[in-house]
Amino acid sequence: MRKKKHLLFATYADFDNARDAVTELKVLDLKEMAVEHIELYSPIEHPEVEEILGHFHQPIQRFTLFGALTGTLCSFLLVAAAAQSMFTVQPQGGKPVIPLPMDIVIMYEGTILFGVLSTLAAFMIYSGLPRRMTKHYNPKVSEDHIAIEVEVKPEHIEHVRQALQNCGPLEIREVTE
Amino acid sequence: MKDIEWAKINKDVLASLESPRPLFWVVIAVCFTLVLAGVAAEAYQYNYGLGTALMNRPHYWQLYISNFVFWIGMSHSGTLLSAILLLTKADWRKPIYRFAEAMTLFSILTAAIFPVIHLGRVWDMYWVLPYPNERTIWPNFRSPLLWDAAAITTYATSSALFLYVGMIPDLAICRDNAKGWRKKLYTAMSLGWMGRATEWVAFRKTYVLLACFLVPLAVSVHSIVASDFAMSMVPDWHITSFPPYFVAGALYSGCAAIITLFVMLRYLFRFEAYMTTEIMDKTVKLTFAIAMVWNFLNLGEYAAIWYSNDMFEKEVLIQKFIGPYAPVVWGMLLCATVAPFAMAFEKFRHNMWAMFWLSLVLQLGMWLERFQIVSPPLASNHMPWTWAVVWPGTIQMTLTVASFGWFTMLFLIFCKIFPSVSMYEVKEMVFHRRIASSRDEMEDISKIKDEVMQTEVGLK
Repeated sequence: MRKKKHLLFATYADFDNARDAVTELKVLDLKEMAVEHIELYSPIEHPEVEEILGHFHQPIQRFTLFGALTGTLCSFLLVAAAAQSMFTVQPQGGKPVIPLPMDIVIMYEGTILFGVLSTLAAFMIYSGLPRRMTKHYNPKVSEDHIAIEVEVKPEHIEHVRQALQNCGPLEIREVTE
Repeated sequence: MKDIEWAKINKDVLASLESPRPLFWVVIAVCFTLVLAGVAAEAYQYNYGLGTALMNRPHYWQLYISNFVFWIGMSHSGTLLSAILLLTKADWRKPIYRFAEAMTLFSILTAAIFPVIHLGRVWDMYWVLPYPNERTIWPNFRSPLLWDAAAITTYATSSALFLYVGMIPDLAICRDNAKGWRKKLYTAMSLGWMGRATEWVAFRKTYVLLACFLVPLAVSVHSIVASDFAMSMVPDWHITSFPPYFVAGALYSGCAAIITLFVMLRYLFRFEAYMTTEIMDKTVKLTFAIAMVWNFLNLGEYAAIWYSNDMFEKEVLIQKFIGPYAPVVWGMLLCATVAPFAMAFEKFRHNMWAMFWLSLVLQLGMWLERFQIVSPPLASNHMPWTWAVVWPGTIQMTLTVASFGWFTMLFLIFCKIFPSVSMYEVKEMVFHRRIASSRDEMEDISKIKDEVMQTEVGLK
């Protein structure tokens, strides 16, 4: 049986309050190991989020590079195989069987197409999309609120709630999943 | 714009999906009528053959190819400018990039129709797909026409994905506020986006990487379209500078189209608070700069032909200015070379409706430019015994007009279903401008404090 998750979902009116709350949670975690995971929900991207939540390991660019190189190779194989196949039925005289200069155009397009598709695949993998909406999601987050979701051990719920409360939340919900 | 509340941004943009001005429906009805006329013209051509379009030796390429180049060109500015401005962090792009990217997608969809119509035998279109026929003969990848198929497919796919990825956070906003079929559509398309930090970080990385791909891709696509002409031996087509000339022309007509759609959306969807005079001013200045680049390349091409002293090239050039197609060439110069100088005047740039009409004139100029690239060189080519002047007939003209109806109809339907102003990016812009403004205020206060302190020290 899957272990139950205990979450606290706090909503704030602005980013500064949410940032203070995360800082308090970090301090609390250092003292009591109370917090298992923190997630921040916001209507816009805050570049500072990595400073407060830590670095996100999302090597999307590696997928991009791999996809782009695969695209170059696959498109070269396609045009080279087509040229070779044509040569067997339509001899080309003194012309090269596999003409590189014109193949470069198709290889270039293949590089970009595969690069774009693999980047998108990486985006899906690292963002966790597509996914089901959580029941405690607050639609106000897509408008102008900031939310913090904290996974806690049951025995620390009150401490964490107090830490969240100190930074002036609009609402705190307790959720069990 | 720094004073707009975030909730108001959502409210205004979501309202545009529900209640545009009544003129919106009139425009849709007119466009739909044009599309019906185009379908009738194509059905007629399908039944009676390509001869009904008056395409004959030496005019194998005519208005259909001009339109193809025009619409591909139009598609350039949207994604290309959006990607460049994203990479250079120009925040004024934020309220206008969404519709510009949509413009790209629908221009490509419009452009893609013309090679099929031009083919005559529309049922053989699948021959461009990379697979062998029953005699194991493959499509010829050495032909620029095949490069076109590859480039346009890549561009259409990448642009659609760039538009879609950039729209996911907004689709989530729509999902949270919609009901009925819209709720179902937005729920499916937003993929469960909730604005988590993990999503935002992955989103930003992906969006920037896609932009990095799209900039060179857009340049390559129109360079390849230019190669359709430049790789041939037809005088006035076999020109080295064609790829940059085509790319500049594409950006120019695309920017003009952005201005047209800017004014149209601003009025139809009541976006006055977002599509401001300040943004229009920047867009117009950019268009003016690109117009000057295009003019330089155009005049450079004339000069290169003149000084090369090639008999056939020179003949085509002279015929362009004094021959039967002269009204087209002079019309192009008037609309695309002389008219843009109006954009040098601030008063003109700040008048929305003046810019609307001017942008239409610029687009007319660029459409004439595509026609004068395709038709006059074929009329006086290397084989004088084939010289003939052919003007497009009713079928070609009807399909041309219908393409404008088709594009506008698709574009407006998109804007009615999806947010044409990016809500989350406008919020970001407001947020950062507010921070910058309060930082400036703090700096001013500390300066005043310092001055007061210095004065006090001086008095003592």
